[in-house]
Amino acid sequence: VATARKRPPRAKPRRRRSPWTPVLATLAGVAVLVAAFLIIRWATTPAAQPAPATTVTADQLTAELAAIPQSELDQVGIGSAAPQVKRISGTALNGPDGKPEVLYVGGEFCPYCAAERWSLVVALSRFGSLSGLRTARSSASDAFPSTPTLTFRSAAYSSQVIDLVAVEEFGDSPSQVLKPLAPAQEALVRQYGSGSIPFVYFGGHAVLSGATYSPGLLQGWDWAQVTHALQTPTSDQARAILGSANLLTAAICQSSGGQPDAVCASAGVKAAASHL
Amino acid sequence: VSERLRPAVTLLAALGGVAISVYLTLVHASAAPLACSAIGVVDCERVLSSGFGVIGGSGVPTSAAGIVWFAVSGALALARLRWPGPLAARFQLVWSVLGLAVVLGLVFVEIVLLGALCAWCTAAHVLVLVTFLAVVQGAAAGAPEAQSAGG
Repeated sequence: VATARKRPPRAKPRRRRSPWTPVLATLAGVAVLVAAFLIIRWATTPAAQPAPATTVTADQLTAELAAIPQSELDQVGIGSAAPQVKRISGTALNGPDGKPEVLYVGGEFCPYCAAERWSLVVALSRFGSLSGLRTARSSASDAFPSTPTLTFRSAAYSSQVIDLVAVEEFGDSPSQVLKPLAPAQEALVRQYGSGSIPFVYFGGHAVLSGATYSPGLLQGWDWAQVTHALQTPTSDQARAILGSANLLTAAICQSSGGQPDAVCASAGVKAAASHL
Repeated sequence: VSERLRPAVTLLAALGGVAISVYLTLVHASAAPLACSAIGVVDCERVLSSGFGVIGGSGVPTSAAGIVWFAVSGALALARLRWPGPLAARFQLVWSVLGLAVVLGLVFVEIVLLGALCAWCTAAHVLVLVTFLAVVQGAAAGAPEAQSAGG
């Protein structure tokens, strides 16, 4: 009689995981993360509110422009600003206090000067403190009429690292001379700017002739609306004005020997410096 | 992805990624205009000109890191063809995990911090994801070299 031999128990078949499982899991994970990013963005973006059309004083504007956080400037980089600031090996220029001089030449009628002053005020405020600025508008009968701005006509500036010489050469029209240029200043504007304004000479290290963005971005706006827009780094105005401010800051850093380090070594300024 | 196609997929993704990264790096270096939309959410200029467009404020464009990543990824794909052992496979897996992690960080920056997407960057990100998926699928399928190494 054949005795029944006990078979060894058959190994339980192992369920083989499909090779597509981790692929699908990864895709699902990525989709969930992207959705989470979109929700965070949606939850943290302030709803667009109508800009307040209030009247503000020039001192308030100056303070608001000086208080723009560095993180926002870093976020913008050069934004939409045209990289018009050029490095030069010009005559070193020292200001009244013996520090490297930033020479600004503009005119109150000039819409391009009106646009560039916003950026210049932001940039200069990173190195010192401005006072005596006044609200102004460019000529109502020129291109980009009545562009809102701040004028340097009676401005004062104090800084540990640079001197500012700001000359508003003209008033409401090119025929109204407010302050004639000194011959040396005139020579610089002719040599590096073909005689046109706005003109900024950064101590012999860099120069800007013209504007880095279109004054059209400020058409129909008032000062409070502009500063309001600057609080949103993705607004067209912030990308232009703050991007330009980073370019101007990078140029000033060339003159100031990289001081102060907290400003000149910031991400936005370094990004801008690579466009000089 | 079949076993035969997998190396081709990772290699093609690497080539495409290198091409995109080189293009973005050249545009950064020459300040030439970028072929990309600048309207609405898709705005390459907004992303690339931000402080995140360079590595740690160094002036080196982030796309330069893309060149390195895709070049190494391509080299690893070739290495797996030449030496089908588990070592290259492990390196490839680690490298693709690293790439995907960086991509997710950059997508976070684009969506949350900047509120804009760069089409070229997104194309490169997709290629990193494709590489990751091909490598992970290969690992899960248990490539023959892995089985023989395992016993």
